[in-house]
Amino acid sequence: MTTTRRQLLARAAAGIGLSALGLPLGGLSADEATDWGAAPGALPGLPHFAPKAKRVILLWQGGGASHIDLYDHKPKLDDMRFKDLPDSVRTGARLSSMTAGYKSWPILPAIKPFKAYGQSGTFMSEMLPHIGGMADDICLIRSMQTEAVNHAPGVAFTLTGSQVPGRPSIGAWLTYALGVKAKDLPGYVVMTSTDKGRTCGQLFYEHYWGSGFLPSRFQGVRFRAEGEPVLYLRDPAGIAPPQMRDLLDDISELNHHRFETQGDPEIETRIAQYEMAYQMQSSVPDLLDIDKEPKHVLDLYGPDVQRRGSFAFHCLLARRLAERGVRCVQLMHSGWDQHQNWSTQLEEQCRDTDQPSGGLLQDLKQRGLLEDTLVVWCTEFGRTVFLQGDRNNPKGFGRDHFGRAYSVWMAGGGVKGGHVHGETDEFAYNVVQDHVHVHDLQATIMHLMGIDHTRLTYRYQGRQFRLTDVHGEVVKGILA
Amino acid sequence: MILLVLAALGAAAHASVVTSALDFGRDVRPILSENCFYCHGQDATKRKGKLRLDTLDGQRAKDVVIPGRPDDSLLVKRILTKDADDHMPPLDSNRRLSEEQIQLLRRWIVEGAPFDGHWAYQAPQRPAEPKVKSQGWVRNPIDRFVAAKLDAYGLEPSPEASRETLIRRLSLDLTGLPATPAEIDAFLADTAPDAYDKVVDRLLASPHYGERMALPWLDAARYADSNGFQQDGDTYQWVWRDWVVAAMNADMPFDRFTVEQLAGDLLPDATREQRLATAFIRNSLLNGEGGNIAEEQRYVLLFDRVDTTATNWLGLTMACAQCHDHKYDPITQKDYYSLLAAFNNVPESGTAGYITAKIRSADPLLDMASPSQKASKARLEKELSEAREEMKRQQAAWELRATTGEDAVADGAVLDLLRRCAEQDEKERNEKLRKYFEEKVADRLPGKPAQAVKERENALNALKDDYPMVMVMSDSKPRDSYILNRGNYESPKGKVSIDVPGFLPPLPPEAPRNRLGIARWLVSKEQPLTPRVIVNRMWQTFFGLGLVKTAEDFGVQSEPPLHRELLDWLAVELRDSGWDIKHLQRLIVTSATYRQVSRVTPALLERDPENRLFARAPRFRLPSMLIRDQALAASGLLVRTLGGKPVYPYQPKDIWDSLAITKERDFSYPQSSGPDLYRRSIYTFWRRTVAPADMFDASPRQTCKVRASSTSTPLHALTTLNDPIFVEAARALASRVMALPVHDRLGAAFRMVLARYPDEQESARLERSLAKQLARFQADPRAAEAFLAVGESKRDPALDPVQLAAHAAVCLGILNLDETVSRQ
Repeated sequence: MTTTRRQLLARAAAGIGLSALGLPLGGLSADEATDWGAAPGALPGLPHFAPKAKRVILLWQGGGASHIDLYDHKPKLDDMRFKDLPDSVRTGARLSSMTAGYKSWPILPAIKPFKAYGQSGTFMSEMLPHIGGMADDICLIRSMQTEAVNHAPGVAFTLTGSQVPGRPSIGAWLTYALGVKAKDLPGYVVMTSTDKGRTCGQLFYEHYWGSGFLPSRFQGVRFRAEGEPVLYLRDPAGIAPPQMRDLLDDISELNHHRFETQGDPEIETRIAQYEMAYQMQSSVPDLLDIDKEPKHVLDLYGPDVQRRGSFAFHCLLARRLAERGVRCVQLMHSGWDQHQNWSTQLEEQCRDTDQPSGGLLQDLKQRGLLEDTLVVWCTEFGRTVFLQGDRNNPKGFGRDHFGRAYSVWMAGGGVKGGHVHGETDEFAYNVVQDHVHVHDLQATIMHLMGIDHTRLTYRYQGRQFRLTDVHGEVVKGILA
Repeated sequence: MILLVLAALGAAAHASVVTSALDFGRDVRPILSENCFYCHGQDATKRKGKLRLDTLDGQRAKDVVIPGRPDDSLLVKRILTKDADDHMPPLDSNRRLSEEQIQLLRRWIVEGAPFDGHWAYQAPQRPAEPKVKSQGWVRNPIDRFVAAKLDAYGLEPSPEASRETLIRRLSLDLTGLPATPAEIDAFLADTAPDAYDKVVDRLLASPHYGERMALPWLDAARYADSNGFQQDGDTYQWVWRDWVVAAMNADMPFDRFTVEQLAGDLLPDATREQRLATAFIRNSLLNGEGGNIAEEQRYVLLFDRVDTTATNWLGLTMACAQCHDHKYDPITQKDYYSLLAAFNNVPESGTAGYITAKIRSADPLLDMASPSQKASKARLEKELSEAREEMKRQQAAWELRATTGEDAVADGAVLDLLRRCAEQDEKERNEKLRKYFEEKVADRLPGKPAQAVKERENALNALKDDYPMVMVMSDSKPRDSYILNRGNYESPKGKVSIDVPGFLPPLPPEAPRNRLGIARWLVSKEQPLTPRVIVNRMWQTFFGLGLVKTAEDFGVQSEPPLHRELLDWLAVELRDSGWDIKHLQRLIVTSATYRQVSRVTPALLERDPENRLFARAPRFRLPSMLIRDQALAASGLLVRTLGGKPVYPYQPKDIWDSLAITKERDFSYPQSSGPDLYRRSIYTFWRRTVAPADMFDASPRQTCKVRASSTSTPLHALTTLNDPIFVEAARALASRVMALPVHDRLGAAFRMVLARYPDEQESARLERSLAKQLARFQADPRAAEAFLAVGESKRDPALDPVQLAAHAAVCLGILNLDETVSRQ
């Protein structure tokens, strides 16, 4: 049976066309790996313009990473330890119910000194030597703002544009819009990790990488740290790969036979999917096999890289996925929720994440991949400049959630390196210049990937939905 | 020419629609709605130039539309102008009218610019049944409407499917289980003219009918067995799930089904079952995160209730009106909060309450325990209170002895407390003494009072883990309701009272202004949306797509239904039959339309790729829950027990591991053993944070979903190939046929799944497949043993393991055929 163009269009409209599969067909040669702004499955007319980045790696820092201790340098606070935060500064900020009823607001300065990194002299905490080491490639945004006061809504807001679960995540939008070039891997891969002590009670919900109302083939595929990396990847006990190959050939032939009498193109789709399932059974183990990585590369990521399921291991896999044509890699790491263990846990958390993050940037850079890879270090909100808990109990106090001002950074494809965008007041409490709302950050990520966020819409429940709702401006100031 | 209809139908519509008369609702309003209403529609705050195009008055004002004179009409002028500032839609709006759309607007004005309200907002009238060419094909009125459209488009219906196909289709559609060989044989042998109807009657009366039909309702009701979010505490909402299955099996009329779930507690002399029904409303996600603002979360619950009610019954997307008047539909922000007010009198805080480390349920709760559970609870509570009394008594006696030195106390601080050496807070003193006594002293004493208390507390908690307290509705906390500025709970504006959307027929004056009034109004004769929305969903269950494709939206932006007369006829039939669901379903499945073959010819694929005209039966993938049920049933593993607590079938190791981080309870997956491994998928425990891994494409059960997702990815293939339940089912299926003569075995297994025997080519391929698998296992008999050991049930030791394993492998192939996972 020949397939007419009209049939193809009809199939695409019904969401069953071969080109619209979650894991599209087609090989990826070494040369192609660097040239896939639009890939199989891309929507017509996308990208809207030449992308600066072809893939994105999200380094999600869950729990609310403290801008005051890490990125927003306020040396004057050192002299104001435990002094009350002036009321004039405090007005109007929405606080969590854990501290909203406080009567005094003792200032807690940064836990460790800051230092100037790189030629740009960007100030960051001395707890971040490896990220700092890449400061000249990093665009630090010190003027982030979110609407959420708590974790789950905050994470969902940043990753899906809505505090309430149910909207598509950034990665789902990207793979929906741009397609995927990866031949035998999902286009959108998620990996989760926690700090070693599991001090952080935050969970990573599936809606953080969900497809919302987009077809479910666009949802992120989580590679698991324990057991099988992809659910049901391994053949049943007693069935060796060649035997499974035999069985799949038989299934395929019987399905072809059925197609001849039934004529439903969906049968062809299913045949292709079974074939790809078989390919994933070798491509995924190959991805995870890091034995061939040279020592000097492994060393970039720090000692944890050898521990499966660690953030460091995932950072290395992020690079390997980027090389394999995966569109969006989302690493979710928790451990930043220091309400009560600020003095004991924050530094440890930096040790766990700093070298892998910095190492990933360096590794991407020396391979020439950083040019068209957008790396985003991001969290759901910052933390209060004032202390939460009993000031006389340094082992038990910390900082509460704070969304009115916080810091994130981006590096690579299309952003200014060695640049700081935005500014907060002397208490890191109010943004005083160039505020960047979560929707602005989302719009900017889309822009760097070649997408006009106002034009990428999906019709659902009678309305054209988009990632940024009806808001969001591209942050021009950070574009290279 | 008419793009919208083309898009809806593919190429099929092309020829005939152009010649038919223009219809404002079908042809014109969608263009205006998509391109103009955002600034010139219902939302007054966004309206530009004081112009609105969604009403007749608006169109006639200021020469916007002058009937008969398109070139003088402002609407056309502004669309055609070359002036960039005046051009409509604005150049920066990303909206463009095509040449065809512009011509259509002109033609509409030439023809007098007739205006009509949105079709779905007008009460359905029973349309006359059309006359059709293929009179002999028609079995009931559904077929007349279908045949009339086929006539108009020059298409023929497809032939009737074979009996094998029909009984599999009916069995899967109505019960979600495959037909047994005996049922197939009986149907094939039945020469009576009503043989088909007897099968339909049998299936509609099956207790498994309710289990099947409940599935889409559970998706709409966002039913789950846990709250979601951080602690993700378990709930007892499964008691309500059983209520739904029972109601469907009893063919409860849909109006009663509606009223009891939305307002059962408000009915006069409400029974326990009627109050239980209202758990529907309480199935929301419930956030128990520390630090969240309870009142904010309470509004999240209220928003969810409005959205669920509007989507599920009215097919309206009211959520837009949470922040502002709806852009497209005539729903105001006041309408939104007037409906919200009906749900705003519940004595609830907004957060998840604590029952035990495992269970989080928030008030109001309904005690659905059995008499014996109640008795046990009363007994344990009494024993606990006695044990506590005993401890207090012993503590007082000890304090006396200790103070007098009769009983030696080594701890100086405690001695000081006993002797009241320093001035101190009495409460603090008592607390410290109690603690000391319980930890250090009590269990040295006769009867070990502290241990006795602890034991009883543990026993009571263990009981509570299984003591069903269902979250239900109550209006015992009246609150004032307000319009919230931009949906922000901290910015109330005008006060509102309970009411229905103003553009729909009003609440009758005598109706109570509460949920009961609203619920009755939803199923009242005047209300145009509910019957259409419900028959459309029913159609969707049997045909894969609704007559209105956007099952969640019947508003102005929805797809104009090609088969509007059929939809309206069905809607009126449902309502006038006393909301008899089984009656409607019987009509659908006994129609000639339903009984066609599903073969997709190249011609049909070309002309009607989505099968909107029904020139063939639909063919679509089964929901993943039913793929699993089918495998269990065909293999004989299925345990058909109805209802009860959720069960924990096989899941990948450590499936809930990510939750262990909360440390408040044991989150290792409590895998069932024995019969509970083989129950129907509807009973699988549904954890909101981590849905069952093998239920692909299922609704996440977080918000109301009325349209199922059906995709095809390699991950699905991996599931049905490698999930232990499919491997075990393959082995059980093989075991069922091993007693047959060698060459009959695979054919029989094939038929247990597909209701038909393989044809010659298929048989040959299955035999070749068996030979290959046999050779592999003969070369490695230990592999055969390993393969047969998958799953908890034991293989039949009387069977040769190599032979059995080879047959089982081929059966695994059969369970993975496209035909197996599809309904055709």
